[in-house]
Amino acid sequence: MSATVTQDMSLLHLVTSASLPVQLVMMMLLIASLLSWWFIFRKLFAIREAIKQSDEFENTFWRGVDLNTLYQRAAGARDRAGSMERIFEAGFREFTKHQSGMDIGAIMDSTRGAMRAAYQREMDRLEAHLSFLATVGSVSPYVGLFGTVWGIMNSFRELSNLTQATIAHVAPGIAEALIATAMGLFAAIPAVIAYNRYASDTSQLATRYESFMEELSNVLQRRAVKL
Amino acid sequence: MTTLAWRRTADEEPGLVRSAALALLIHIIFFGFLVFGLNWRNDPNESMVVDLWRDTPPQPVRSQPVIKEPIKELPKPIPVQEPVKPKPEPIQPTSEPVRIKNPPPRKPTIEIKEKTEPPKPIQEEKKVKPVPEKTPKPEPVKEKVAKPESVKEIEKKVAPEKELPEKEQKAVEQDVLAQLAAQKSKALDEIAKYKAMIQAKIRSRIVTPPDLPGNPMVEFRVTLLPGGDVLKVSLRKSSGYAAFDEAVERAIFLAKPLPIPPDPALFKEFRDFNLTVYYQDAL
Repeated sequence: MSATVTQDMSLLHLVTSASLPVQLVMMMLLIASLLSWWFIFRKLFAIREAIKQSDEFENTFWRGVDLNTLYQRAAGARDRAGSMERIFEAGFREFTKHQSGMDIGAIMDSTRGAMRAAYQREMDRLEAHLSFLATVGSVSPYVGLFGTVWGIMNSFRELSNLTQATIAHVAPGIAEALIATAMGLFAAIPAVIAYNRYASDTSQLATRYESFMEELSNVLQRRAVKL
Repeated sequence: MTTLAWRRTADEEPGLVRSAALALLIHIIFFGFLVFGLNWRNDPNESMVVDLWRDTPPQPVRSQPVIKEPIKELPKPIPVQEPVKPKPEPIQPTSEPVRIKNPPPRKPTIEIKEKTEPPKPIQEEKKVKPVPEKTPKPEPVKEKVAKPESVKEIEKKVAPEKELPEKEQKAVEQDVLAQLAAQKSKALDEIAKYKAMIQAKIRSRIVTPPDLPGNPMVEFRVTLLPGGDVLKVSLRKSSGYAAFDEAVERAIFLAKPLPIPPDPALFKEFRDFNLTVYYQDAL
């Protein structure tokens, strides 16, 4: 009955006075948003690093450095090696295991197989957590919407107890319910943008690695023929 | 071998802590912006204040003549209030030098009140004007309610004041005490007057529901802000008729800003007060 007309509409007050399911939804969305931003930054640094390392390795590779020294360098500094360097290392190690007198086709097959395996692992590493971003991007709006619908449902149910209803009775409930949708969108929008961006970046890297593998296998095949 | 190496490097992904810190930073900045950057408070009541300001211009014309009659009561508090602050000091030490300083300003004020009443209204009108601007229509009602109480008290006040000059030669302290008492009674007078004004203003805004049996009574606790804005209204005792309760509650908000004495010292009397409205009175 004692309707305080001047409602405290500050964000914190709205969040703290929301009902438990809505608060749980908000908590979930906050955690999802924090995690997705964490992965966004992790992937940003990781992909940027991968592109830089691939550029560097391709430069040194095509400058005509001896493959043996390249292999020594890659094997010596495995921690700092980039994806492309590791693919090269795996392929070259497999290639050097077979010595002259063996069937070139068999050598190249096993070399390609080793490079393919390294490539799969590197792509797996690059694409890790991207699926989480996709999930957050597609699901969190619905979770937020669920919180909003629940909050609005409750505020209308409370309205049914009043004989004379004014908009002031419903407004705070709806406002606090809508915060859930806002949080869902806040979590989803960056996640979707980052997912699309990183997916295209990783697919670009993947084509670069694949073409490098083809080129390297050609180089190694020529080398095997010479031996 | 290679699998182990890959596992190790995957764990050593660059910038784990840095990205966690950046993610936290982004959330803190965003929520900080939401909490402090945006004005989340919506005050639909302020528009009502604007409407009341439009009503005010014609009112001073009506209220000014009305105020001149009670001027005899009103003017005194204002000149007396200035010396009020030094008074507590002299009483405690009761030293001669302090007494000598205080009497001179008082004597002239008392004499002026008795002898020259016409000049006062001019000074007082200037000071009193702000009050009528804030308090629109209900003022005529205030006078009716306020006068009977205040007139009696004025007589009481005037009596000791006339005696003062005679006693001054004998004891100055009595003069001080008498003035303090007079001020108290004036303050009470003011409070009673403004309470009546508030009652009258709210009553004039009540749209009473028709045909309620008997004379139901509703009691509200009203919390005011300095300036007369209504901060909070809570129902203390329902009349049993929700329509009447709500009508009175609406009237309280409609009546703002409520008339409040210009003296801030008196405001504490108005911060919280109980408002009782009878149905028959509101009709």
